[in-house]
Amino acid sequence: MDSGIAGKTAIVTGGSRGIGRAIVERLAAEGADVTFFYRDNAAAADEVVAAAQAAGWKVAAEQVDIRDSGACAAAVERVADRCGRIDILVNNAGITRDNPLAAFDDDDVAAVLATNVTGVFNATRAVVPYMTSQRSGTIVNLSSVAGDKGGRGQTNYAASKGAINAFTRALAVELAPRKIRVNCVAPGVIETEMSAEVREQSGDAVLARILLRRYGKAQEVADAVWFLASAHASYVTGQVLSIDGGFKME
Amino acid sequence: MTTQITKEEIMAVFPTVAETMADALGCDLEDIVLDVSLIEGLDAESIDFLDMVFRLERAFKIKIPRGKIVENARGALSEAEFEANGVVSEAGMAQLRSYLSEIPADRFKTPMKAKDIPRLFTPETFCKLVITAQREAAAA
Repeated sequence: MDSGIAGKTAIVTGGSRGIGRAIVERLAAEGADVTFFYRDNAAAADEVVAAAQAAGWKVAAEQVDIRDSGACAAAVERVADRCGRIDILVNNAGITRDNPLAAFDDDDVAAVLATNVTGVFNATRAVVPYMTSQRSGTIVNLSSVAGDKGGRGQTNYAASKGAINAFTRALAVELAPRKIRVNCVAPGVIETEMSAEVREQSGDAVLARILLRRYGKAQEVADAVWFLASAHASYVTGQVLSIDGGFKME
Repeated sequence: MTTQITKEEIMAVFPTVAETMADALGCDLEDIVLDVSLIEGLDAESIDFLDMVFRLERAFKIKIPRGKIVENARGALSEAEFEANGVVSEAGMAQLRSYLSEIPADRFKTPMKAKDIPRLFTPETFCKLVITAQREAAAA
């Protein structure tokens, strides 16, 4: 069965590194026209675009601060003007500011919620009118194992990802009549730059909680995103799919 | 400003408005006549209004801020003058009748809840919305 990804127009937020880059490449390799948003690492973004072009894929980068709703709307409009439609949105961009609750300052909370929650609202609000008009589209949000199971020093991050799980379910209800599917991928501990500190500090303690006794790879998360964005998941909406190697609660 | 919109102006934008609405509502173009109630006559839902506005923005290359249609309908009245506890005031009803002059009098039920105002909207209402936005863009 054809995945239906070829020829689709996709937007991936936070696509210059880690899981985001793997998602961009997974979709582009299958023939999607992918635009990814990045905030400030232009060198990393250029590298992704150059590598994609060398592979013969359609990949473009847009510098967008997703915390800014106007910037999101303008960037999405540029993509729609260029490609004629928006078929896939992957809300991947996210940050961590781990600390015990008592040690947070205001910005530790505000910054995480602004990117991880408000940013998802902004990108989604910008894209949904196009998908509504098309009566088709699929949205995949990136949550985290922390959104369901919690994690020490991650109350801000866990709250933001729990919000994304709830956002996914509510939006799936809202958009189903317009044939737009909304799902979520919740990665566990994945071998990326973002999780390096957690992996280093927790060592075997975290590994002992993972049934498969290893960390995940960005590619494995990208595969799950690809599945949910594809025609193979045409009867799947409102779901949170854990890609965590069987992460156990403490 | 809206009361000065002429029939000629409305008819100039109507073909595009009608086509846009037919696409948004998935109905036949012939079903879109100037005075049909979008909700009661064409089964439009609130999400369809958002879709129609979005499509009109793209079709006419205009910007229509959210809530603009109700703001236009309210005219010079403040929100407090226009409605109280969700019910349109007497002054509000007079303003509505004036702004939506194309709508037959018997469609204005009293007391009217503010949330029911969209039930009055017709394709002509959206033509006026487009024309107002075009005028505002030209004046900017």
